[in-house]
Amino acid sequence: MLKLTNVTKKFGELTAVNSLSFTVSKGQVFGIAGPNGAGKSTLYNLISGLYPFEGAISFNGKEIAGLSPHQIAKLGISRTFQIPQIFPSLSVEKSIGVGNHFGSREGFEQDYVDKVLEFVNLHDKRHAMVGQLNLLDKKMIMIGAALATKPEVLMLDEPMAGSNAKEIIQLMELIQRINRDLGVTIIIIEHFMKVLTELTEKLLIIETGTEICCGDPVEVTGDPRVIECYLGDGT
Amino acid sequence: MEHKRITVFLAIIWGVVAILPLFFGSTNFIMHILIMCLIWSVVASCWDLIMGFAGIFSFGQVAFFVIGSYSSAIISARLGVPPVFSVFIAGIFTAGLGVLVGLPCLKLKGAYIALVTFAVHMILEPVLKGDIGRALGTGGARGILTIAPMNIFGYTFTSSDPIPYFYLLFLVAVVCSVIILMVIKSHWGTAFLALKDAEEFASCLGVSAFKYKLMVFALTSFLTGMIGGFYAHYVGMLSTRMLGIDLFVTLMIILVIGGVGKFPGAVIGAFITIAVNEMLSPLGSYRPIILGGLVVVLVLALPDGITGLFEKMFSEKKQGLSH
Repeated sequence: MLKLTNVTKKFGELTAVNSLSFTVSKGQVFGIAGPNGAGKSTLYNLISGLYPFEGAISFNGKEIAGLSPHQIAKLGISRTFQIPQIFPSLSVEKSIGVGNHFGSREGFEQDYVDKVLEFVNLHDKRHAMVGQLNLLDKKMIMIGAALATKPEVLMLDEPMAGSNAKEIIQLMELIQRINRDLGVTIIIIEHFMKVLTELTEKLLIIETGTEICCGDPVEVTGDPRVIECYLGDGT
Repeated sequence: MEHKRITVFLAIIWGVVAILPLFFGSTNFIMHILIMCLIWSVVASCWDLIMGFAGIFSFGQVAFFVIGSYSSAIISARLGVPPVFSVFIAGIFTAGLGVLVGLPCLKLKGAYIALVTFAVHMILEPVLKGDIGRALGTGGARGILTIAPMNIFGYTFTSSDPIPYFYLLFLVAVVCSVIILMVIKSHWGTAFLALKDAEEFASCLGVSAFKYKLMVFALTSFLTGMIGGFYAHYVGMLSTRMLGIDLFVTLMIILVIGGVGKFPGAVIGAFITIAVNEMLSPLGSYRPIILGGLVVVLVLALPDGITGLFEKMFSEKKQGLSH
């Protein structure tokens, strides 16, 4: 479904993503982890068309290099950001409507916006202005707006960051429902290994933009190279 | 502000303005001021749309106004096009230039857009005064001294009889504000606000920054250029003095008083600013100082302008009723 081949991104002398290759299959929950500065969010920025890159990214067999972010969204790849990017000038309903109006290939459908509002549990706050809401609600709006584009792939960038234990459970349940009930393929960047081992079917670990290992989450998290990457070699 | 409330607010404003000639129609001087208020209300509303709603710090509004006014005057004089058509051609020409200015701005943000668009303002004066301008018919440093008055179906609108021109410009200003209102209410307005608030996220949701940013440049420069044409055929003469800092500052004050991104605040701001500016004229050189002081006080007291104050009053009243 989504295939990256030798994807590289350099910012001057710094190589943020170094010849990464992996494939995400349809319906999968695919995890990406790595220390801060590993190039995880940069990778999302490359897939979503925010930065140009070297290498190839294909989605359903179509090469997406050179496409702009709005064209990639229309193809069916949607995303959220680590720091909630919201629309303070718009209401909750309008914010989610942005995704449906501009990102969905089927055009605006109020019924679908209503369904998404229910799905992310924001139907009671639909008329509230986004700026007035708490962090969890803002994350829900981002996820809701991304869902409203009717994506085939949803890329979540550290959705659990800044959340308490109860909120993490809520978000995990939501992600599972999106994958199971809506059939959306999920790619998730996360620091919480417990979240990744419970949610994902395949886990990629990167450090300084380079792949450390990729495979079954339980095996990957027990890999000595991953432990060293996170904790150092003990010397 | 809710769209319904903006519509009602706008209807009240234009309703009040429509009857002003009943009280001031016999005084040409006041009618002239009201006509200028109508013209600046359109220019300021366009500036508010591009800056306040779309979040593009374009400082080229006065330049587009001057381009529109010169274009209409030259098109009507050189090509013999009746002013009623030349104003629209001038609007289209200005829109084309607006898109050309907008293209490099797509890669820029904030203050850099302000610099590029203000550069257009800065280079316009030497162009209009120089050889290129003279060849095009701008009259160089002297300006254009005779511009045909507006003529529609054989009726000539002259500045010596301001009431008909007031109602003509009133109609134009109402149409322009309805267009702006419809844009704000439509998905265009939503796209502008989304791009202003979080451009990367909006783009990743399918909003084309390229398309909507160019659209706002095209629309605002079209309306500004067109109203510039109406101005030219009203005053009957043009010079590059309009490109001085006075007009630019006046427009800024209009926006600050009305409230940035608070349409139809720019319309109210235009009437208040132009009226206060005229009332302060006996103070001579002290006028800019007093006006500047008033702006500082207003910005501190009402950061969202007069419209922001109304919004606050309405929301407090609504909360009071719900308790």
